[in-house]
Amino acid sequence: MPPMHEMAIAQSILDIVRDEMTARHCTRLDGIGLECGALSGVEPESLRFCLSALLDGGPWADARLELRIVPLRLRCFGCGTVFGGESGQDALWQPCPQCGEQFGHTVEQGKELRISHLDAS
Amino acid sequence: MQIPVVRNVLEANEKLAEQVRARLDPGRILALNLISSPGAGKTTLLERTLADLSGEFRMAVIEGDLQTDNDARRVAATGAQAVQINTEGGCHLNSSMILQALDNLDLDGLDILFIENVGNLVCPVEFDCGEDAKIALLSVAEGDDKPEKYPLLFNLARAMLLNKIDLLPHVDFDVRRARDFATRLNHDLAVFEVSCRNGQGLDGWYEWLRAMRQARRQGRLSRQER
Repeated sequence: MPPMHEMAIAQSILDIVRDEMTARHCTRLDGIGLECGALSGVEPESLRFCLSALLDGGPWADARLELRIVPLRLRCFGCGTVFGGESGQDALWQPCPQCGEQFGHTVEQGKELRISHLDAS
Repeated sequence: MQIPVVRNVLEANEKLAEQVRARLDPGRILALNLISSPGAGKTTLLERTLADLSGEFRMAVIEGDLQTDNDARRVAATGAQAVQINTEGGCHLNSSMILQALDNLDLDGLDILFIENVGNLVCPVEFDCGEDAKIALLSVAEGDDKPEKYPLLFNLARAMLLNKIDLLPHVDFDVRRARDFATRLNHDLAVFEVSCRNGQGLDGWYEWLRAMRQARRQGRLSRQER
């Protein structure tokens, strides 16, 4: 295993894909839909690389990874306003547009790492 | 054909983490997951803690390293039980490894289980090991902006130890900057300034361990956030 956790994540994705393909009696896989939170700690290019390395040479070597980055949504520690979602604003600490509080926000969205769909038949 | 699935990628690890919890629950064993960069002093902290609290608690350590059993041997020299996991290049421990390690530990009467993760501030944060708390360790020989650069760990940890404070006269580390940033990210974070080399500041850490152990024993400890 290379020293990057994206390989472990790619392996987990493949395990779930195999499981779903079997359960749904599918054989052909064209795409894997993945939702990846801005705070999930996953580097998308690295994950893409690891997944293609695992798929290479197998029956699903041509499957696309349809990766959607789920933007960060924070609930302000100071006033409770939910904000965020702009790309490039991926910090857990950023000023609330309502009251200016920078810290202590709760993550409402942005930690997800989940398979949303398979394009399969 | 597009087939909706909606499955958490790390679900397999999370299920195994529940199995780890199920193994530790009957004895109400406090499990702490130690996370830091390489060289911040995790093993030295454990050597000190195990030696100083050996009369008070039964403790065991699961040591995660890419290679070698050097750390497990250091820890075992204190008389505590230690199990080494070699990840062979893997950058983090996961719950499957913890479950295997538990098979090689005597959990009977155990008070505290320390999990010394692989030295890395990113990957170990993603993988639940069934712990009650993540502990962040940061040494003043590193940058004081680590909490700014790796906010997720400092946001999730229940305690942060700033280690090697005996080196402060020789480095540019701004304790207040690291401390303020981390505690603003995480209002519940307990912070201890320590030197595992000379023992300075460790009493506060030991008090915290006692309180955590007590809370675990009484079933008052809330779940570690993910």
